[in-house]
Amino acid sequence: MEPDTQLAVVIKGLNKYYGSFHALRNIELTVREGERIVICGPSGSGKSTLIRCVNQLEEHEAGEIEIFGNVMDAASPNIDVMRRETGMVFQSFNLFPHMTVLENCILAPVLVRKVDQEEAEETARHFLAKVHIPDQAGKYPSQLSGGQQQRVAIARALCMRPKIMLFDEPTSALDPEMISEVLDVMVELASEGMTMLCVTHEMAFARKIADRVIFMDAGEIVEMNEPGAFFDNPQSRRAKTFLDQVLQH
Amino acid sequence: MAEATPDTHPAIGRHGANRGLAGIAAYARKHPVLSLLSAVLIGLILWAAYEVFDWAVLRAVWYSPDSQLCRVEGAGACWGVIEARWRIIVFGLYPFDEQWRSLLACLLIVMTAVLSCIPWFWHFKKIAPLWIAGFGGFTVLMSGGVLGLEFIPVRQWGGLSLTLFVFASVTILTMPVSVALVLMRESKLVLVSKSVQAIIDFVRSLPLLVVMFVAAVVLPFGLPDALIGEKLFRVIAGFTLYVSCYQAEILRGGIQSLPKGQGEAAKALGLGYWHRVSRIILPQAFKVTLPSTINQIVIVFLETPLIVIIGFFEVLASGSAAFGTAEWGIAAGEVYIFIGVIFFVFSFGLSRYGAHLEARLGKSDRR
Repeated sequence: MEPDTQLAVVIKGLNKYYGSFHALRNIELTVREGERIVICGPSGSGKSTLIRCVNQLEEHEAGEIEIFGNVMDAASPNIDVMRRETGMVFQSFNLFPHMTVLENCILAPVLVRKVDQEEAEETARHFLAKVHIPDQAGKYPSQLSGGQQQRVAIARALCMRPKIMLFDEPTSALDPEMISEVLDVMVELASEGMTMLCVTHEMAFARKIADRVIFMDAGEIVEMNEPGAFFDNPQSRRAKTFLDQVLQH
Repeated sequence: MAEATPDTHPAIGRHGANRGLAGIAAYARKHPVLSLLSAVLIGLILWAAYEVFDWAVLRAVWYSPDSQLCRVEGAGACWGVIEARWRIIVFGLYPFDEQWRSLLACLLIVMTAVLSCIPWFWHFKKIAPLWIAGFGGFTVLMSGGVLGLEFIPVRQWGGLSLTLFVFASVTILTMPVSVALVLMRESKLVLVSKSVQAIIDFVRSLPLLVVMFVAAVVLPFGLPDALIGEKLFRVIAGFTLYVSCYQAEILRGGIQSLPKGQGEAAKALGLGYWHRVSRIILPQAFKVTLPSTINQIVIVFLETPLIVIIGFFEVLASGSAAFGTAEWGIAAGEVYIFIGVIFFVFSFGLSRYGAHLEARLGKSDRR
């Protein structure tokens, strides 16, 4: 294999502005296939913006993003094609409320991947079983708890058989007792070798699954290290302050 | 006003709980003036109701082929006029011997509309043939000239079938046109969105009558002959544009009320623009805007009689023709009541259907 094909995500000199606000500053990041990255940092530090740039839900002004060697930017004509390879899980679930759980899961495979209906349903049931809700397929999202909805959202993303999974604070909108059921699913996913980029405040989870932890503040990557080294011995003052705040209880 | 909540309002508060005569007596002792006022009002209402009933039913003349019985002293409502003149009201100037065609056409349009309301048809491959068959059949039946049917020019169309035809055409054409307008209005291309916005704002600033008048009278001067077409179809086009601009704004409100995450989730799954619009955005926007859409459709129905101004013989005009003779001049009120009942039946049916649809679509919201 070419060395390039093992690189899932390559980000070079990425800069992003909201008007005059400089949201991302000179981001450099390379993610290998199968690598699990956790991105943390205080709110407003640009971590969500960063992973939303990866699948171009946010357009960047400068720099370059490549997914498996394909350039991602607003002008690239095959952006919808590349988005098939990047599954995304949102803080607010964003299930389609007018469709059942099963319909949510098969929609994109049938429309985009042109999988036939039966095969798509089989895949959907497989992944719903995997996220531990095999028997809710006929329900509407509003009939499920937050934790169940988020697991459906994970299953929906997996049904597209993506090569990379992006998690944007997947547990931040959940009641405390539902957080672990979602994290368990993510841990299982990590153990199967999925390439993952997670924005999260769950530090125990980060320690458990991350190959690398990235600490961001004010739009830049301040620290990038293995979880053990990062948590036990943060190098920068900003990371130290942040960890003190999130770990003190 | 702040203290006028159900719990504390003196007129309905705690006393409301005491039902029956004892409760009424107790209430009357406590609030003599209010009670007296209520008694007088109830008396007035009962009296008026009796008078109306007496006029409309007890003393009514149900059959009077030459209106003479209606002129008898003490005669009530002259319903005989409906029996004698209903053909004018329903069919207008349409040739008498061919009026069965107008009736069939009318039924066809109503059937097309009713079938369009059934969810089974809500797919392009089903609804398109239905509409083509409905409107094609209507046109063939009404204008003839083929299949051995005598040719009847559009200016002789009239009455209820004309009203229904204009209403159904405008309603059905409005749906795709308003969707097209709102998609262009929300387009990322500034030139497209700004110019569509200008068109929508401009049309919405005009009275409907002006739009109809321009379509009927002014437009032919500016158009090449080949494009002028039948006046009726120009008016339908103008009416459709007018309603579509309102409907587009209703839809835009619906689209903006959706969480931003809906479109983002669809994008993240790799769905292209048309799939996002047709599967995620529009179905939800339609659902949110259903009450205002039904409202808009009822308004279209009630505004349809305005086409009389530019010389169409719709149901209100044919109604005035029905009592516009020396014989039936006394029965104007009865004819208008009859037409009012027709309008009520349609408008009420529409709003009931809207309520049913809301309940049905609300299923995915239940908890």
